Parts: sequence; structure tokens; C-alpha cells
Amino acid sequence: MASRTLAQAITLALDNALGRSDDIIVLGEDVGRTGGVFRITDGLRAKHGAHRVVDTPLAESGIVGTALGLAVAGMRPVVELQFMGFSYPAFDQIISHVARMRHRTRHRFTVPMVIRIPYGGGIGAAEHHSESTETIYAHIPGLKVVVPSRPADAAGMLRAAIEDPDPVIFLEPIRMYRSVKEEVPDDSPPARLDTSTVERLGSDITLVSWGAMMKETREAAEKLAASGVSAEVVDLRCLAPMNVDTLAASVRKTGRAVVIHEAPRSAGLGAEVIASLQEHCAYDLEAPVARVTGWDTVIPLKMAEHHYLPSTERIVTTAERVLAS
Amino acid sequence: MTATKFALPDLGEGLVEATVIHWHVPVGGTVGMDETLVEVETAKAVTEIPSPVAGTVLQHGAGEGEVMSVGELLALIGDSADEVADAPPAAADPAAAAPIVGSLVETQEELAPIQAAAAPVARRPAALPPVRKLAKELGIDLTAVRGSGRAGRITRQDVEAHAQSNGSRASAPATAADERVPMSVLRRTIAANVARSWAEIPQVTAFDEVDATRLLAVRKTLRETRGANVSIDALLVAAVIPALKALPVFNASLDGDDLVFHHRHDVGVAVDTPDGVIVAVIHDAGTKSMLELAAEIARLSEAARARTLQRSEITGQTFTVTNIGAAGGNGFGTPLVPYGTVGILSAGRAKEQPVARAGQVAIAPVMPLSFSYDHRIADGALGRRFLALLVDTLTEPALLLA
Amino acid sequence: MAERPLQFLNPDGQLIEKSPVDLDRAVALYRDMVLARVYDKKGVALQKQGRLATYAPFEGQEAAQVASAATLEQGDWMVPSYREPAAMWMHGYPMELLIATRRGTELGGSPPDDVRVLPVSIPVGSHMLHAVGLAWAERLRGTDRVAITYFGDGATSEGDFHEAMNFAGVLNAGCIFFCQNNGWAISLPREEQTAAETIAHKAVGYGMPGVLVDGNDALAVYEATRTAVERARSGAGPTLIEAQTYRMGPHSTADDPGRYRSPDATEEWRTRDPVERLRRYLADQGSWTPEWQAELEQDGSALVEQAVVTAETLPTFRPEEMFDGMFAELPPGIAAQRAEAGAI
Repeated sequence: MASRTLAQAITLALDNALGRSDDIIVLGEDVGRTGGVFRITDGLRAKHGAHRVVDTPLAESGIVGTALGLAVAGMRPVVELQFMGFSYPAFDQIISHVARMRHRTRHRFTVPMVIRIPYGGGIGAAEHHSESTETIYAHIPGLKVVVPSRPADAAGMLRAAIEDPDPVIFLEPIRMYRSVKEEVPDDSPPARLDTSTVERLGSDITLVSWGAMMKETREAAEKLAASGVSAEVVDLRCLAPMNVDTLAASVRKTGRAVVIHEAPRSAGLGAEVIASLQEHCAYDLEAPVARVTGWDTVIPLKMAEHHYLPSTERIVTTAERVLAS
Repeated sequence: MTATKFALPDLGEGLVEATVIHWHVPVGGTVGMDETLVEVETAKAVTEIPSPVAGTVLQHGAGEGEVMSVGELLALIGDSADEVADAPPAAADPAAAAPIVGSLVETQEELAPIQAAAAPVARRPAALPPVRKLAKELGIDLTAVRGSGRAGRITRQDVEAHAQSNGSRASAPATAADERVPMSVLRRTIAANVARSWAEIPQVTAFDEVDATRLLAVRKTLRETRGANVSIDALLVAAVIPALKALPVFNASLDGDDLVFHHRHDVGVAVDTPDGVIVAVIHDAGTKSMLELAAEIARLSEAARARTLQRSEITGQTFTVTNIGAAGGNGFGTPLVPYGTVGILSAGRAKEQPVARAGQVAIAPVMPLSFSYDHRIADGALGRRFLALLVDTLTEPALLLA
Repeated sequence: MAERPLQFLNPDGQLIEKSPVDLDRAVALYRDMVLARVYDKKGVALQKQGRLATYAPFEGQEAAQVASAATLEQGDWMVPSYREPAAMWMHGYPMELLIATRRGTELGGSPPDDVRVLPVSIPVGSHMLHAVGLAWAERLRGTDRVAITYFGDGATSEGDFHEAMNFAGVLNAGCIFFCQNNGWAISLPREEQTAAETIAHKAVGYGMPGVLVDGNDALAVYEATRTAVERARSGAGPTLIEAQTYRMGPHSTADDPGRYRSPDATEEWRTRDPVERLRRYLADQGSWTPEWQAELEQDGSALVEQAVVTAETLPTFRPEEMFDGMFAELPPGIAAQRAEAGAI
């Protein structure tokens, strides 16, 4: 057990997985020699060999399509796509084949594959490096889409994703890579990939978010506490297939909720969350559920990024409005 | 001339530290602008760092082989006689060094542990939003309404029937000409707390007055000898402690059929803010000196007005003191006992009044006291004794030394 | 790279080079090609009878499919597109499952465990990468199994064709890219698909051999594929084969070729028919009689009929089955939908 960042926890989980089974193969652009653009796979090639941590040609569709062949043949590929904005060339492979091979073949051929995608804004990167389009992937039947917001959970979730018999899109919140830490076991047991977590108990209002926005959500709960409001914080974690049981139980208790995500508002995953809450606990709602989201614009570059990403203040203000209604 | 402090830059792509590999320019050597100064190794690469200015290297921030954190002094460059200035700001812009990946936040926040799930909470009354709205307008608490709908849901008819059975509307209905303003969160919180205290605690209030001549003299002495501005609140808190020790039932709380006696004296002090009253808590007030109490109250008051109090600073008081002197009037009131405690003391402003002293009428500052307490727990005689102890102490502050 | 396609039999069925296969092999190939033609005719008929949802005919491409698939061994992988039923059953894929797929059930995509043939892939060009991964996995596992993938001339314009060829070259994957250039991608002629002189030429860019072969000459197809399979099996890497053939029928039963091509070209290609060509050769060798032909057609017809009956008696679809195929273990949210669908 040691205190580790999110990035370190993910590296550790990959290292452990490679050590556990020869079927695991890590592949992607620059993952070998240089350890990936975020250095998540740093040192793994030296330790486990160039045939297990593979630098591929620069072609996302090629990586995912080839990995599908590996998976059908019984390997366990763990793909890294460098940024969510560069995942779209692989989209056809993901939606047309990865997500549906099991269904198409009635379990005869399966795709136990993990696609790791660093995502989200807030690091002042170049265009296409700050996307948060998890909704696109969450909308595809046959995929599991998960996103950790804590180092210990990340290690357990990645292990579970790698051991999962089905394809998992594993989103990694870039701006949390090195900004949060907690105790992470040297070898984490697999975490569940079909539940959400109540991270902080409260009674007045439920704040639900996932990934990088959990930081501002946690801060907002703290600020609300200072003015006497007891906010419950739920980390959705598993975006698809969505299981809202935990969240609905929380909202039944508090009667109020705010959904926070950095993706654009319209048709964002918040809409799905709110629709589910409406189905599960409309009779318990004291006020309409509100959203704090990115705007329906392209996420701006560094100088204006903070105008786009939901701030702690926006969450607090929205929560107060919901509490007042 | 001023010497330049060159801090180890964030070399981008998410780095926190670097190891000094080799100094290209020794201390005392000269370096040109953009000439290689030092070679460092980061988690990603070995990199040569060029000097941001020309001059003599006056100091190395670390020796070869040593590890430095981003932001620490890497080198001091200038003439030996120079004053020290900061490096040009451009060198500190992490984005400049990270054109592709962007700059990752490196200040690591230790996450709070996940809280364990609480015991199941009783389900809220089930009702659709329009029904809730109607109930609010009629001033009806839905927990008191029996639902006739599917799975016990409360319908519009249930609410209307409940309103009629209660005889009349709880409040005047709003008309188009009226202005409807939602209460602030703080106001709503106060409203809920006060309503709960009023509804659940059968409370009584005892009144008395204190000749504050000696108290004000002590305050003056402290100001003149220690330069300390000791507030009335601090004096009240200090005076309350011995009374609570003598009659610990007033530092207790009622839990079901049990009384829980608290060993610590966590005294809440009401702070008036523009949004409403916030009770800030001085934990373990019994262990603090007068000056410490004064300083703590000053800090908490400021934080309360800035709304930056921590959660621990607004919860868990075992007794409450409120100084309503600033509000004027005759200074008496009936403060409501905060839910979960047994007593609350309210003090008004000391005003000059005639008092009987050794058979003579004298003019002295007189402070009105109002003490409310939970009558379930304390009988009238006990309440009177508590107030009498307070009056004694405040009349002769020297008793605090006893 | 050959300027002229590899050819052993000319359109008249005369041997112009020494045959690369013995007579028994040629007879076996012929038998399977006749079965392929019977199957194809049956497919068109079934669709017109409303017993198949849609069907993609392959008349004219029997040699390309049968003779290439005949070079594989059990354990080799096949990654087809959607116009290769003959290649698929040649490699063990049950015929009734192919018909089942066309009838509209996912049961058709689930061959027995020992059949290493992926189900038909509809998005043009996207499946070739899977063959690269399969071949690579076998190499990582230390076996000598290879993977063959089939696609048409249209697929070579897709980006994934490039990525698959490139990955195969870089990874030295034991992969055979078998292009059935049948002249048409629905309505677009080969000349407008690429400015390259041949599709085989494209192999140069990926560091692998490109082989041009007369796709209507079963002997040439067999020889070219056998060489490529051998190369892959030995660890020497991938090969691109362009088999020049012709789609005699429409793109699918929903297509009308009269809108975009003249019957003249089709009639010209009929003179190069692969089945007739091999028949003449066997007749010249004294290995064909009209009686045997009748017997082949009768047996083939019975085989296909049986497959159709089996396909038509597969269990009917229950709504819950939609959900059961999605994940190894049904996630809670989807389990609720399954119950909902079952209740409707």
C-alpha cells in the first residue's frame, strides 16, 4: 500500500495485469519506447518485452481493428488511444465490430478488449485534445463505458476491465492524472463495473458527476457544507450500461439533485441520468433536477477553457437554486 | 542591477521534479542568454536548460545528482553585488513548454476517504412536483398527510382534503400583485432549525440583570494593559463555563430517553451576518484563556460573515451564547434553545440604570440576561440556579479566578 | 509482379502451362464449384420466394472462392466479407447457418467451436484488420496458423484496406489478402475505383508481394493462394492476391444492373465462365461425363435443400434473445429492459 496518483495507479494496474497473464498485450501509438504521451505505460516495455507492449503504426482504426482480431483469437488486448479527439478514426471498428461481435455470433466470437482513452479538458492543450464525448460511446449497445475519479478505484476498475469478457471503454480524466492521490494497494482486487459510489453522505441534495468533474463536485459539496447544506456526492463511475439504483436511492433520500458533466449539455449523458431519475423517483423530487455542464459549443482553447468547464461556483449556485425551489 | 532568480521550470507534460545531471556553468562562471546552463533529468527525458539571462552564475540551487522540485531556485545569475529579482515570467509559463499535451495540475490533493453508507433513511412522502407545490402554498407538511394513491402516493385531493380538515389556510394565498421571493439557503436552514426547536422543545425563559460595572472595568483593564479587545461575547463564554461545570445538565443533550452529558464545553456563539444568524462553535472553550477566547471569537465572526466556516465550526455545540446588545431595545428576549442542546443564554446591552448599592441609589451599567432551557430536562429551580451563578460571576469577574 | 494474370487454363479450358494440381484435386474443385453454382441459383430463388430476406449472388466467382479456400488447413482463420458463402462452407462453415443469416437471425453467425470462420461482415473493408490481428495472435502464440480475408475491388478504396495492409506489413503477419475483383462495386466500375493499373500493384506500398491471377481459372487461383499460404505459414509475411473475375449477377437481389452496365460485357465474360472452363479441361482429360454432371447437380441440390430445411426449422426468435447476446453477463440496467421486452 502506498499513496499514488491516478496516473501511477493506472500504470500499476497495467504492470500487474501484464505480469498476471501472457494473454495481455498493450498496444497503441508511442506506448512502448516512450511510455505513451502521458507516460502511463512508462517502463512496461522494458519490463515485459516489446512483443507485449507494442508500438503500432499511427492509425487508430488499424489499432482497434487489429486488436479485435487478437481478442477473437483469445488474447486480451489493452489499447491506448492517445486522446478522445483521436478516437474517432477508430469509431467504425468500435461501433460496427467491437461492440457487436458477441451479439452477431451468439457468444461464439467475443472481444475481451480494453480501449483506454484519456479525455477531458482543463490542461490548456491544443485543439482536439480536450474532448469529452463519452455520450457517443455510452450510446453504443455492447460496450461498457467506465471512468474512474480516484486512484484506488482506477486500479481496481482497470483490472476488472481487463478481466471483463466484454469490450470496455476505459476513460481516463487527464487533468486528474497527477492532481489527486490516495492509498492504493500494490495489487488491487477487481472493482465492480456496474455500480455507482456514494462518496460523501448528505441529506439535502445529491450532486452526481463522474471523471474529472468530481473535483469541482467535491469542492462544491464542501462549500455548501459551510453554509449548512448537507450535500450527498455520487460518483457515477460506470456510464454504460447505466445502473442508477445507487443514484436513485440517494435522490429518494434528498429529493433534490444536480448532474454535473463537462461535455456539452444537449444530449449529454446528464439527459440520460435525469430521464432515469424521472423514471425511478419522480414522486420523490422536491424540485426539478438541474444540470451544470459544458456549453453546446466547441470546447475553446486554453485562454477561454475556464469559461467552458463547469466551475465549483456554478455548481454551488445551481445547487442553491435547486434548494430554494 | 539586480540578480535573477531562475526557478526550475515546469518542463511540461506533467512533471513535478528533476534531477540535476550536470552543471555546464560552475558557480562564478559566466553564461550567455539562451546558452546551456544545466542538464537535468525528468521522468521523461534528459533535457538541457538554457539560461534566461546573461551574467555570472552566483549560486546553484542543487548539486549534481540532487533532486529538485519544480519552482525551487535552480540558479542565481547576475553580478555578485546585485540585488535579487525574479526570473522573467515567461520562463514560468508551463504551457510554453508543453505545446501538445498541455499542462497537468501537479499539486496533488489527498482525497477524502469514501464515507461508509448510512443506515437506511425513512422514505420521503411520495408526491408529484405539482402536489408538493400545492402543499407548500397551503403551508402543509406532507409528512402529516396520508396518501391515497398507488403505493401510498399523496395526490392533489389528499392535500386539499387535509387543508380543509385543518380548518383554514396556514398562510394568505399569494395574489398576482404580491412579490414572491425564494428564501436563501441559510434562511431556509434557520427556518427549519427554529421550527424544530419550537415544535419539539418545551422551553421556558428566566430573566435577570447584572450590574456590569466590574465586568466593564476588567474589559477596560485588559485593553489598556494587554492591548486586547475582549468582546462581551468572550466574557459571556468565560462566565458560562463555571456555571456549566456546576450544573452539567445544561451541557447535555437529550437522546431518546437518555441524557448524554458532554465532557467538553463546545460553546456556540451566534454571529449576525447580512444573510442571517450563524452559530459558530468554539470547541473545548473550557480550556481556553480569556484572550484565546476573544481571538477565537473574532476569527470565527469574520469567517462567518465571509461564509468560509468549516463544517466542524458550525456544528456540535453543547451550549449557546447570543449577544443581542447591538439590536438595542430593553435587551430582554426569549431565545430558542438550539435543537440538540439544553440551554441558551442571551445578553442585552448594558445601560445606565439606578441600582441599590449599600442602601444608596447609584447609577450603574446594567446588563439584561435571558436564559432559555429545555423544561423537560431542567425544572424552574435549576434554571434559576444556573442564571444566579452567571449573575454572580458577571457581577464579580474575579470569581473567574477561583 | 506479373503484367498478365497468372493463368493455367485459357477460357477454352486448354492447359497453357503444366497443371499445378493433379487430376483428383481438379475433380474435387469442380465438384465444389458445381455445388457453389447450385447454391447460388437456389439463393436467388429462395429470395424471390420470400424465404430469404436478401441475397448477394456470386455467379461467376466460383473458382475464386472454391479454389482459394481449398488451400487452407483446419485451424487457419477465414475472415470473409458477405459474398463468399462458397469459401466459407469450403472451410467448414455450416451451409444452413449461411442461409439462416440471410433469413435474418444471429444464429447464423454462430458456427461450431472448431470452425475458425468469422461471420459475414457487412461494412465494406472494415473486416480485413481482424484477419491481421488473428494472424498476429497466432504468431505471438507460436503456431503456424494463417488468416485469409476476402474482399472486393470496392473495399480497396476504404481507409481500413490501407491500415490493414500496412499493419500486416509492419507486423509481418501471416495474412492473405484475397481480393475478388469482380469489376463492380454495386454500380461503380473498377476503372473508377482506382487509377492504379491493377489492385495487385498496391502491394508494393506495404512491402509485400502482389499477385495478379485469373480469378476464373481454378488452377491458377489454387496455385497463387497455395503459394501465399505457404509464405504466410513459413513466417515470411503477408501477400495480396487480386483475382480478376466478374459479378455476373446483380450486387444483391435488390439491385438492377441494367441501370449502370450493358449486357454485352456480361455476355463477353460468360465466354470465360470458370465452371465451364474447368469442365472442358476435365472432359479433355476424360474425367467428366454428362451423367456425372447430372449426379453432381442432383446431389448438390439435395444438399442445399437439406440446408434450407434445417435453416427454416431453427428455433423462432424470442424477444429476450436480443438481450442475451449483448454481454457475457447481463448488466442490471439491461436485465430490466429484457424483462420489459418479454412482458410486451
